[in-house]
Amino acid sequence: MLEVEHLVTGYGGVPVLHDVSLRLGAGELVGLLGANNAGKTTLINSLSGVVPPMSGRIRFEGQDVTAMTPKQRVEIGIIQVPEGRLVFPEMSVRENLLLGGINARARAHRPRQMEHVLELFPRLRERLGQKAGTLSGGEQQMLAIGRALMAEARLLMLDEPSLGLSPLFVQYIFGIIDRLHAEGLSILLIEQNLNLTLRHAQRCYVLERGKVAIEGASDVVKDDPRTRRAYLGL
Amino acid sequence: MRQEFYKTLLSPLWLVVLALAVVVPPLLPSYYLHIVILSLVYVALASAWNIVGGMAGQISLAHSLFIGTGAMLSSALLLKLGINMWLGLVISALVSGAMGAIIAWIDFRFQLGHLSFVLITLAFAEMGTVIVEGWEFLGGASGLLLPRDTGNFWAFQFGGGIGAFWAMLVLAIASILINVAVLNAPLGYYLRTIRDNENAARAIGVNILRYKIAAMVISAMLSSVIGTAYVRYLTFADPYLLVSPIIIIEIVLFATVGGLGRAYGPAFGALLLVPLGEILRGKLGGTLPGLHYFIYGVVVIAVILMSPRGLLPLFENWWARLRSRPVATKQG
Amino acid sequence: MAEFLQALAQGVLIGSTYGLLALGMGLVYGVSGVVNFSHGDFISLGMFLCLALYSALALDPYVSLIVTVPLMTVLGGLVYWYLLRPMVGHQFLMVVQLTLGLSLVLQNGILMVFGGQSVRTPSVVESKLWILGEVVVRVPHVIAFVVSFAMAIGLYIMLRSTDFGRSIRAVHQNAHAAALMGIDVSRVQTLTFALGIGILAIAAALLLPGTPIQPSQGLRYTVITLIVVALGGMTNFVGIMLGGLIIGLSEAYGTIYLSDTLGMLLPYGIFVLIMLFRPQGLTWSSSR
Repeated sequence: MLEVEHLVTGYGGVPVLHDVSLRLGAGELVGLLGANNAGKTTLINSLSGVVPPMSGRIRFEGQDVTAMTPKQRVEIGIIQVPEGRLVFPEMSVRENLLLGGINARARAHRPRQMEHVLELFPRLRERLGQKAGTLSGGEQQMLAIGRALMAEARLLMLDEPSLGLSPLFVQYIFGIIDRLHAEGLSILLIEQNLNLTLRHAQRCYVLERGKVAIEGASDVVKDDPRTRRAYLGL
Repeated sequence: MRQEFYKTLLSPLWLVVLALAVVVPPLLPSYYLHIVILSLVYVALASAWNIVGGMAGQISLAHSLFIGTGAMLSSALLLKLGINMWLGLVISALVSGAMGAIIAWIDFRFQLGHLSFVLITLAFAEMGTVIVEGWEFLGGASGLLLPRDTGNFWAFQFGGGIGAFWAMLVLAIASILINVAVLNAPLGYYLRTIRDNENAARAIGVNILRYKIAAMVISAMLSSVIGTAYVRYLTFADPYLLVSPIIIIEIVLFATVGGLGRAYGPAFGALLLVPLGEILRGKLGGTLPGLHYFIYGVVVIAVILMSPRGLLPLFENWWARLRSRPVATKQG
Repeated sequence: MAEFLQALAQGVLIGSTYGLLALGMGLVYGVSGVVNFSHGDFISLGMFLCLALYSALALDPYVSLIVTVPLMTVLGGLVYWYLLRPMVGHQFLMVVQLTLGLSLVLQNGILMVFGGQSVRTPSVVESKLWILGEVVVRVPHVIAFVVSFAMAIGLYIMLRSTDFGRSIRAVHQNAHAAALMGIDVSRVQTLTFALGIGILAIAAALLLPGTPIQPSQGLRYTVITLIVVALGGMTNFVGIMLGGLIIGLSEAYGTIYLSDTLGMLLPYGIFVLIMLFRPQGLTWSSSR
């Protein structure tokens, strides 16, 4: 479904990612691990098209999307749930969800999709008219995922969904992720939380200083001694 | 770092300037001499503004206050109170320096961002216009007419024409040299640090208030002195010319076109645009009033879009390439 | 007392249009961070376009809107796309100089075409008056008041309940997140700027009847607009309309009860104090 080949990306001509290649099959849940500053967020931002690649190629369902704008990528279903949630704080939950489905492909199905999202997150239904900025961290994470589902994601990319959440909420959110995966959604999960990710993902990539250091099935990656080393940023 | 300053001071280039200054002006028709003098006024003003606007990165629109004080206050002191214009020049410069210090203090005390600073200084500039136009002592809306320039040096008279040229040349060179000196002094380093990252500067313990005030006071007093000399040359203290925000907008644009924050950038911009504007105005001002301002506007937009660091860097590159070309052919 | 009420009426009526002028600037600032120093010159341009249409076709300023609004909207879009968009994100302080340059271009372009004399554009309602007890109000002022508030309410509804309006607010609140929703941020910024300039075309026609205009007036309108925006808080709708009323009133009362000079200084004084002590504007909550 997603193929990244020899991707080099950076800011102001200075590369952050060096020659990253990865693959994600349809319906797969793949984890992307790494220490701080390993380049995880840069990678997902270049998949979303907000950071332009310096070289390399990104393919989505056989289609070359390397040169596409962020808007075009959203329209073919590559959706990111950004780090820190980034809900629109001064807008209501309902408006946030409507914005999630603002792209040309999803716009027409918004009422149906909204019902689906509210079934998944009953808590959001209670808070529909409330400003997103007044929600708790966990509720904001639900909203951010709900917003991505409104966009009719075909590839859902989650950046640090557990960040700053209480253990109970983390469990809940990962339950949702499993459920979405079971429904057949392709998911790229970026996490710092090593054990949690290895438990939920089928396969994992470990990024180290902008390069893929280790890749493989989760239990293989788990037993690789290099994983913990890369993780500590040594 | 001092060496750089002395090197500039002792540069043989000054001899060329001096030679040109002695030989050329007497040969020029008075109209062209006027353009030369005007260019020097703006070279001096743009360089004076550069200390705050370029080096410290604060787009001050309040400089029309300092220029206006130098022009209107010294004229009023002479005409209304009979105070010698040399003394008037000093008093005006002190008043301008004090106003500059207050503005710098406000900026520091309230931690204005770059944008708020522009807006507040614009408000001060507008208030200055209203006050001068409404205050009879400063000439009100009708302005003040200075006595004829008889060339009495002790009365701050330079005899118009050639004399005014020399006075302006001295001021323009002084203004540029002060730029070079500040750039190479610790003050210049601190100003750039503050411009590039005020919080970092604060964190490493730079006394921001002190350097902001120093820059603003130097710049304000210099602008004021140039204002006094300019009004003496014009003879008529016209508030619509000397206190209007337009004069400072022109200066900002000249400095931007030349290259902000560099010692010679603003002077370069003024030397390029003022003669162009004045000649256009002379040729077409009757049929197309405002054409020169129109051109200034177009030039500044074009420069910002194509070479945001100004024209001087472009010119330097071109010059360097021109000089390296003969070497390259020799090798070939 | 009559004088007091007269000034009240005048201040409120004119102030509402100042509010409308400022809404455009606030919207643009909200989505792209651009403070447009040529704002007032675009108002001038709107007024002189009305004058030109009157001279050529004897159109009433209110009728001229059919032409000036689309024209200025397109012009605004082009200006943003070709001049301002390249600056956003880098060289941001240069936007100040760029719009100052644009101000010179517009002001002197108008000067070259129309000359520097003060001129008036007649309108059918120009000299019509309404007398309410001791207060005399000019009909053009009443029209300006009604249209300004109608426009403000219309804009408010547009921002609340249309996809375009929600995109504008999304870009304002978090441009990065908006891009991740598939919103074309540059496009929204360009359209908002175009909208802001289009609003100015309407405000220009509202201010025009009975007002002598000259090309050099632009900077004054820019400053008034900046004052109102600063008063209201850059992106606060209600605050900006209130700010317009405050400035309209302070002008009206200042010139009656204070000397001319002090009256004219009053708005600037208020502006400086607000900028220093309440830089986020007057109202407490920001209803972005």
